[in-house]
Amino acid sequence: MHELSIATSLVEALLEIAKKQAATKVLAVELRVGKLRLISLDQLRFSYEVLSKGTLLEGSRLTIEETPGFTRCPNCGFTKEFETGDASFHFALPTMKCPKCATDLKIEGGDECVITKVRMAIPSRPSEPRVRVGPM
Amino acid sequence: MRKGPEVVTSSEGEVFDVELEVDILKENRRLADENARRLQSKGIQTIDVMGSVGSGKTSLIKEMVSRLKHSYRIAVIEGDVTTTIDADMIASEGIPTVQVNTGKECHLDANLIRKALDITPLDKLDLIFIENVGNLICPAEFPLGSDERLVVISVTEGPYMVVKHPMMFLDAQVVAINKIDLANAMGVDPNNLSADVSRLNPKASTIHTSCRTGAGIDEVIHSLQLKRPA
Repeated sequence: MHELSIATSLVEALLEIAKKQAATKVLAVELRVGKLRLISLDQLRFSYEVLSKGTLLEGSRLTIEETPGFTRCPNCGFTKEFETGDASFHFALPTMKCPKCATDLKIEGGDECVITKVRMAIPSRPSEPRVRVGPM
Repeated sequence: MRKGPEVVTSSEGEVFDVELEVDILKENRRLADENARRLQSKGIQTIDVMGSVGSGKTSLIKEMVSRLKHSYRIAVIEGDVTTTIDADMIASEGIPTVQVNTGKECHLDANLIRKALDITPLDKLDLIFIENVGNLICPAEFPLGSDERLVVISVTEGPYMVVKHPMMFLDAQVVAINKIDLANAMGVDPNNLSADVSRLNPKASTIHTSCRTGAGIDEVIHSLQLKRPA
């Protein structure tokens, strides 16, 4: 259940972003979470919902984009996506040796956990326009 | 995703989207780097010991401490959900121990270690073992600022411990496969576990150990680049 501590960091980071923008309400949040992170998205959503109660995040919509894991060979450039699509993911985790030249592979993607977009209500119009509302 | 209008006005004010790139796990990493700098400035080597509940982390640390305590000034930071049983066991070696009780959390994080370091006599130390909470999942996500990560698994946990928890082994420098004295009784071949580790993490040293017979303990010490007294 480390999702609770990750959700705590998420809520803290969002409240700080909202404060900086003098927002009165956060309406929607987008995250990008790599599939190689050991984060259960359902638990993260649930923890977020619980922790956001009573703050200006309450009721906000949390959208999570999952990004695939990639390994790359620093020697020959071979890349392979981690097979994380099904329940047997752990057993399908590829060897960390390049199948072509046996060099140690490097993990190149799928290990991030970032906030990418926050939609907020801001009472007074800012002097410099922020990114205007687009699709979310 | 639905396409929204360009600007929405709500009762709370105008609605804006802010696009950004804020790493949620960054704060832990920042604190971990801070811990690492603090420990390095004191010339202290730090080893994060991780593994499942009952794999023998405490026993292995105790064995290493008993062999190393005459050549290193050692302290152990013990992470557990509750109780001081492990810290008491290590303290019987006559070295300083700091118990960190996480309460409800399933892992140590860099902030807990920062607080533990505040009450650890850093000026009088060369080496710190940090025993993480018994868990093969969560601690992998929270670096603490240690120099090395030692993962301890045991044959009594069955033959699939490595393949079931691959992420834990990706960042480990040393993996101890413990309780090999029980391998026959368990019908588990420790060589298969070693092969799984080297497939996942070819750089890790994998060592078969038994805290009962003392097998492999010196090799673990050697792999952690620690020296036994001559």
